[in-house]
Amino acid sequence: MSMAPDYPPDSGEWICGVCCAPLRQVKMQVFYLNSAFDVSLPSCPECGLTMIPKSLAEGKMLEVEMLLEDK
Amino acid sequence: MRFDQSRLHEIEARCTQESPPRCQVLCPFQLDVRAFLTEMAQGHPERARKILDRALPLPGILASICGHPCEGVCLRHGLGGPLAVNKLEQTCLAASAPSRPLSLPPKKFSLAILGAGLAGLVAAAELARKGYPVTVFCAASPTALLTTRFPALRTGDGLTSDMEALARLPLTFEEAKLDAALLAHCETGFDGLLLDADAAPSLAPEEESIDGPTRYWRDNVCCAGRLTLTPTGHVFPEAARQAGEGRRAAQTLERLVGKVSLTAAREKQQGSLHVSLEGVAPVPRINPGNALYTPEEAREEAARCLRCQCLICVRECAYLQKYKGYPRVYARQIYNNASIVQGFHTANALVNGCALCGQCEQLCPENFSMADLCLTAREDMVERNCMPAPAHEFALEDMESASSPECALALNDISLSGGAHSARLFFPGCQLAASRGEQTTELYEHLRGNLSGGVALLLSCCGIPAHWAGRQAVFTEHASALRNHWDSLGRPEIIAACSSCIKALDLALPEARVVSVWETLNALPLPQRHCAEISTLSVHDPCTARHDTNWRNAVRELARKCGAHLEEPRLTGQDTSCCGYGGLVACAQPDLAAEMSANRAAALPHTALASCIMCRDRLATQDKGCLHLLDLLFPRPHMSAQNVAREKGPGLSARRANRAALRRLLVRRFLDEDAPEPLPTGVHVPPEILVKLEEHHILLEDIAQAVAWAESSGRYFKNLENNRRLGSYRPRHVTFWVEYSREADKIVLHDAWRHRMNTPGAGGNAAHAGENA
Repeated sequence: MSMAPDYPPDSGEWICGVCCAPLRQVKMQVFYLNSAFDVSLPSCPECGLTMIPKSLAEGKMLEVEMLLEDK
Repeated sequence: MRFDQSRLHEIEARCTQESPPRCQVLCPFQLDVRAFLTEMAQGHPERARKILDRALPLPGILASICGHPCEGVCLRHGLGGPLAVNKLEQTCLAASAPSRPLSLPPKKFSLAILGAGLAGLVAAAELARKGYPVTVFCAASPTALLTTRFPALRTGDGLTSDMEALARLPLTFEEAKLDAALLAHCETGFDGLLLDADAAPSLAPEEESIDGPTRYWRDNVCCAGRLTLTPTGHVFPEAARQAGEGRRAAQTLERLVGKVSLTAAREKQQGSLHVSLEGVAPVPRINPGNALYTPEEAREEAARCLRCQCLICVRECAYLQKYKGYPRVYARQIYNNASIVQGFHTANALVNGCALCGQCEQLCPENFSMADLCLTAREDMVERNCMPAPAHEFALEDMESASSPECALALNDISLSGGAHSARLFFPGCQLAASRGEQTTELYEHLRGNLSGGVALLLSCCGIPAHWAGRQAVFTEHASALRNHWDSLGRPEIIAACSSCIKALDLALPEARVVSVWETLNALPLPQRHCAEISTLSVHDPCTARHDTNWRNAVRELARKCGAHLEEPRLTGQDTSCCGYGGLVACAQPDLAAEMSANRAAALPHTALASCIMCRDRLATQDKGCLHLLDLLFPRPHMSAQNVAREKGPGLSARRANRAALRRLLVRRFLDEDAPEPLPTGVHVPPEILVKLEEHHILLEDIAQAVAWAESSGRYFKNLENNRRLGSYRPRHVTFWVEYSREADKIVLHDAWRHRMNTPGAGGNAAHAGENA
């Protein structure tokens, strides 16, 4: 089970609402049911606010969630 | 774990789908007649030949003389005539070459056959094929007795081809006098011995001294091949019987020389295959133009085979069809699912896809219950913490919400004074309250106005979602809360408007008397404003009222009193089909639930009449015109019955809001208390977005919370291209994302999604410090 590593925003030019900084792809871990996955997500380089694009949430992430739930 | 092997076998045994059809059971060689006919119907005599050669030790001889008991039990009898299995066998043998037998390694045990009758030759062929060196002692030539006994063999070439095949096996024919001396010689000179009773009648013992099923006589001797005695005293050689005895004796000899039990695990215990002939049209038997069928005639005749199988339950159920099997297979998969220690639980979806509606149990001649199996499996999964959380989470949260102080209400009849308790308690159920608040109120007023002794009211969920989800602890806790309400109201008789509620209340409050609102209404005068504009309606019974005759009768009587003409669909009453709401399948597997709803809608020819509000609303999702019985009794003002029937039920968010609204209305009306309306969220959700939200179980209150969190904390993203904002909020085990824009005095939602994985820096979590949820 693996999640492909890099998930940019689905579309648009996004900045952080607090810091006004453009987002960067930052490598981090997401967690579910005692498992952790390394992914690169759009994130504010200053405050760390992180985005989960819709295509990831309803695609690979959902698929992995369901797999782990059946483990 | 709640399953063990013996329990599994008990459950499996109830499903007869894997039992052989009657033709195969009656065949002494258990020929797979169904498979043979399938190949013949497809025009593949060479493939069909392989099936014959595998099962029949002497196919040429047997096809010529067998009395074909298979045809005597064919279910086509009376529907065009039994399949001409025997003639098709002969046609197949003539049209194909014999298949090459596998040469098995030689065995060390030597076996003797005394007498070349049919039983002796069958046994010889069976044993020699398996590699045993076999000596057949016969009084004359090997075929002399056979051709005397069965004159048909003299003309056919089946005998020649079978004898040629025997010649290629480790088998020797020896001419000898079949007497006691030979018998004694063989008993000591061979490891095992078969005495052919037809070939050597003077040596054969009385039938009483032989064990019938195994044909075992004594020491290392078996005996087979008796003649058949008719009730009129006629004695004749019956090919199927003699050949069958020969096979059983051969099997016994193998066990004898191998020194294993003659009986252990020998006969497979299986119930008879049940076959429904409903809807089977008669097709006349094809008689061959000549002695044998032409290829076309053979295909046509073989195609008449019904391919007997059960699938009585599977044919009616989208869930049972979805996983391409049948209950026996599913029982095994569910057992394996519960047994695995490591790896993936591949049958979780199978367990959670069942509507627990009980139709399979009702239709099955052996009463196989997928509901019992799946509910036990769910309880087991919950106990072992293996139940995927999302399967029933939304329904359980909905149950909690419907029983929360915002929606629940316990109200004594306000006309009673001095602390007197009401004689009855109206329990509308949380879905009726969610879908038909006004009619619920009207119904309550009608009951109060027509029943003496006062009618109390309890708005709450009955707890059935917890039961269906296998969450016994949650159900017990909920039952305890219901009991407190019931006790405080003086333990009155309960009038319930939902058949699922009746089931749940029977479990939660077994000592309470619970009756359906329809029985109660049926004993009262009709409401004055009842509807009289509907003519023919197809009655749809809720699956939870399958065994509630009082419910079903009262529904019909009330509808007729309102002037409706009722028609019963094909599956009705006890056999009714689920609308797709039962067992939380709509929550766990919405697509499957939609298929169930569509199937049921399609099976109701007229506008439907439901007596459960979830049935009504589920059928309406399929654009099926459907009325609830309350629409006849308390018609909606200013709406035609046709429009009411076509109206969609409220969505998930609206249901929650409606329950709370009904409570506020009742509190104001009966308790004269202030119940302020909730403040508007200020978030506008376009209807097309709302549909998508509901599909993903995202509620408007989740949206409002997420927007409020983003706006109050300032933690959102901004899209420079269109000025939209994107915020997230994680109130429980789910993170909700909202993409919205600020427009003048309101916020407009453009999109929303959700996920369960936990991400540092999203949903209100601190960056780089995620919980490992």
